[in-house]
Parts: sequence; structure tokens; C-alpha cells
Amino acid sequence: MSNLAALKEKYPPGDFGVWVIIYVELLTFGLFFVGYAFSRRADVELFNQSQLMLNQTSGFINTFILITSSYFVAKGVALMQTMTQENIEVANKEASRWLKFAIACGVAFLFIKGAEFYHIFGQGINLSTNKFFMFYLLLTMFHFMHVLLGTVILFNVHQRTKISAYTPENHRGFESGASYWHMVDLLWIVLFPLIYIIR
Amino acid sequence: MKKTLEIVWIILVILTVFAYLLGYLKLIDNALVGALLFTTFIKGALVSDYFMGLKNVTMKYRLIPIIWLGVIILLIGVAYYLPV
Repeated sequence: MSNLAALKEKYPPGDFGVWVIIYVELLTFGLFFVGYAFSRRADVELFNQSQLMLNQTSGFINTFILITSSYFVAKGVALMQTMTQENIEVANKEASRWLKFAIACGVAFLFIKGAEFYHIFGQGINLSTNKFFMFYLLLTMFHFMHVLLGTVILFNVHQRTKISAYTPENHRGFESGASYWHMVDLLWIVLFPLIYIIR
Repeated sequence: MKKTLEIVWIILVILTVFAYLLGYLKLIDNALVGALLFTTFIKGALVSDYFMGLKNVTMKYRLIPIIWLGVIILLIGVAYYLPV
């Protein structure tokens, strides 16, 4: 058991600063999730009726997109972690390809979510319509901004892989961007059933 | 071993399809909400362990997102099942 513990990395992948941000984000979203769940108890009928106006299929597609993008990013991280001095260029090039797919997924998510917002706002729904839509809009718009930022971060990491900037000794920037992106995925994994499915 | 990420992705997709079908086919009821929350926990734990790579990190860092997930899912369950 102690040998096993010795094999473990001491710190999570990426810069410690990004993990502080991740923990704060998890806490913030967590409070919103619990706030939604307990607010729902006060008027279950209103929440259930309002939820019917959401498009579950677009929520499902977006979940699939984020899970898949996380997989692409994880493949890139695996390449970084197994890279040697002999294959720096090849590893960066391969990782760059995985990141391209992940960025495309991020853009697709933003497009689908944007279309959903357009539809919702087109029906005259806003933050003050009712408590369900207040939570729905706050949570999903807040998350939308995180996906937008995550996509920009992935694009920046992608640009660096194109010049083979990451080496076996220094690929923390890649891991930090990846960790942030996985957090965005993790948050949506809870958000999707909570807002779109549970009734 | 090399296919771990692929297997995790497949499990995540299957559990997501399960969640979607519960909602789409309007099968969701009291018992299935518990199952849905459990699968959500599994999905989150898989992302944390395998995609974030925390499975290979010392326990205290590995546990932070898992505990967060467990507490949030538990509280959502309490809010759902507690009599009004």
C-alpha cells in the first residue's frame, strides 16, 4: 500500500493556481445546484411545467459533445505525459490534432446553446419570468461563459503545440488548460440531469 | 490498458443516453431519480479520475472533486425525496 502511494503523483496535473480556480468554481456551481434543488421544492409544479419548455435533445447533444471533447483533450494530455526528447515534434503535432477536435466540439456546444438561448429569449422569457427560468438562465449562461473561456484557452494551447512549445519537462500549460476544460465538462454532467431531466 | 480512455468515454456515452431516454420517454419517477443521480455520480467520478487524471494523484487531491460530487448529489437527492 505504501509502495502504491509512493507511485502516485504528489500534485494534480497542471499549475496549482488553476486547481484553486477549479475548486472555487466547483463550490460556486455547487451552491447554485443545491439552491435550485431546494427552491424546486417550494413550487414543484411550476418547475415541472417550465422544464417542458426546454429542449432535452439539445441538452443531450451538448452533453455528448462535452464528454467527447473531454476525451479528445485527455488524449492530448496522454501524449504530453508520454512524450520523450526524441518525439517532441510528433507528440506536439498529434496533440494539436486532438485539440482541434476538442475546439470544434467547444464551438459546436456554444452554437447549440446559443440557438437554445435565442429560442428561449424569443419566447419572451427572461430572468424575472419565474424562479425556474432564473436558475436555468443563470446556471446555463454562467456555464456558457466558462465553455467560451475554455475554448479560448484550448485554442491558445493549440497554438503552442503548433510550434512544439511543450516538452517532456514543461507541459504544465497544456495540463492546466485540459484540467479547466474537464471541470467545464464535470459541471455540465451534473447540470444536464438536474435542469433538463429530473422532474 | 491503452484503451482506458476509450472505455471511459463509451461508459459516459451509455450513461448519458440512459439519462436522456429517461427524460425523453417520460419514464422518470421517484425510484429512477435515485438511479439517475447515482449514474451522474459515476459519470462525474470517471471524468475526475480518468480524464482529469486524478486517479494517479495522492488521495487528498483525488478526493476533493469526488467529495464535492457526492455532497452535491446527496443534497439534490435529499431535496427531491424529502417530504414537502
